[in-house]
Amino acid sequence: MGGSIITCTDVCVAYGRQEVLHSVNLEIPEGIFLPFTGPNGSGKTTLLRAMLGLLPVRKGQIETPFHKSPAGYVPQHKVIDPLYPVSVRQIVGMGLYPERRRLLPLNRRQKGRVDGALEQLGMAEHAGKNFRELSGGMKQKILIARALVCEPEVIIMDEPTSELDEASEKEVLQHLLDLNRNHGITVLMAHHDLELMGKLTDSTCHIRRGKAEIVTIGNGGECDA
Amino acid sequence: MAVSAMHDAMQCLYCQFPEALRAGLLISAVCSLLGVFVILKRAVFIGITLSEVAACGVAASFLLGIPPFAGSLILVLGAVSLLAMPSENQRIPRDTLMGILFIAASALTILLVSKSGPGLMEINAVLYGDLILASKKELLILFFVLTPALLLFLLFVRPTLYTFMDREGSKVLGIKTWIWESLYFLMLGIVISAASQIAGALLIFCYLVVCPATALILSKRIKTVMLISPLFGMTSTFFGMVVSFNYDFPTNQTICIICCILFAVGAACRRAVSLLMRRTVFPEHSVQLSEQNATCRRRAGPLRGRWRS
Repeated sequence: MGGSIITCTDVCVAYGRQEVLHSVNLEIPEGIFLPFTGPNGSGKTTLLRAMLGLLPVRKGQIETPFHKSPAGYVPQHKVIDPLYPVSVRQIVGMGLYPERRRLLPLNRRQKGRVDGALEQLGMAEHAGKNFRELSGGMKQKILIARALVCEPEVIIMDEPTSELDEASEKEVLQHLLDLNRNHGITVLMAHHDLELMGKLTDSTCHIRRGKAEIVTIGNGGECDA
Repeated sequence: MAVSAMHDAMQCLYCQFPEALRAGLLISAVCSLLGVFVILKRAVFIGITLSEVAACGVAASFLLGIPPFAGSLILVLGAVSLLAMPSENQRIPRDTLMGILFIAASALTILLVSKSGPGLMEINAVLYGDLILASKKELLILFFVLTPALLLFLLFVRPTLYTFMDREGSKVLGIKTWIWESLYFLMLGIVISAASQIAGALLIFCYLVVCPATALILSKRIKTVMLISPLFGMTSTFFGMVVSFNYDFPTNQTICIICCILFAVGAACRRAVSLLMRRTVFPEHSVQLSEQNATCRRRAGPLRGRWRS
């Protein structure tokens, strides 16, 4: 692991008058697999969204490398309405938007990258299928492939496994761990199950009452500050 | 006999009302294409609201003596900016606001037309339009408004699709979502304003909803949907005009009915194809399913009798 890739300094985020995060100070090391845990409504998603620039910061500062290269963002698969008649390849190709020419279709090299990202997640055979025809776990993997295709330094996920069954959840989490270990990609994700996270990693960013800190967790899922 | 009568009607239509035919084909192509995104955005109500606001603008223009396009454009752009305001923290959701706008515009249109002097014919013309009466001047306005809108939309279709499909994901990728969303609704507003006097609220709404819905039923690919939706619109317009000319029916309503018939035929074909595919690809599964259904029916037999009594 190198230096810190994201730094939050005295960050306050609010929805209207209600302040959700108060004076958050964090230094997230490069190449870490870091789940954001905490009770419902504690501000896990809010902090990740603020890091992505989707929410304005009321006070303080968040330093990210996303102005140079965008983050790989993986929302919950339900954000894509099944009404859209788009193929898996089109969804993954969306990840290449920042570097593609607006009016032209993907060139051969970019198509290769899309296929590569799908292959990395074992989804190459589904490339031509319609996104809505896939199961929840498969959709989530396609969204991970979309995040991967632009070769990001950081992947940020909002409860990526919340709607999945146990088997699909395990499979998706295993892929994320592999990406982190084999490719050195920093993985940040909101997750509610501290016990499960304890089995995957030894540290978590625990958020409670609007305060966040990186703590170590044991196999049983207990936090040690 | 009927075929030759239809052939004569086609020839007469093209000779006597070339502007009407061209205007109809242009409006149907552009509205049916823009309508694909109206449906995908699940904003169908915005189509009828803007059409109704545009009709209100035309009625106001009659009263004030200004060009109808100017009147409808001002009101539609006003409505678009009102609906574009962020609604996340508002007490009233956006579709409720659209409902209020729709009711106000519908009622105001009747009031304005009733005070502007003309009679029932003019009220009907404002509310329902009449494609067959399109003039050369109106066709020119349509051409200079709708063609650039169509080109602009095709030029920026990709960021618009991404914005509509996954707003936050698009923002993270650096897409200025508010620009594409505003541009789309602005274009929609301008197109509806230009077309409303000739086509009327009902026909525009039909093009925005029925033709894209037919295309979405028949295709799984966005490019194909965007290609066949305008084709359905143009085909319905052409045959609608021929039938209305031949049998002396009101043109706009005839086109609407033909659009709906095409939708019904499309839906039936889609259902038939999916049933056929299921039987061909999974014949064992299909037999198994029908056996399971029969078992369920047998088991539920006495229960069904009890519920009935």
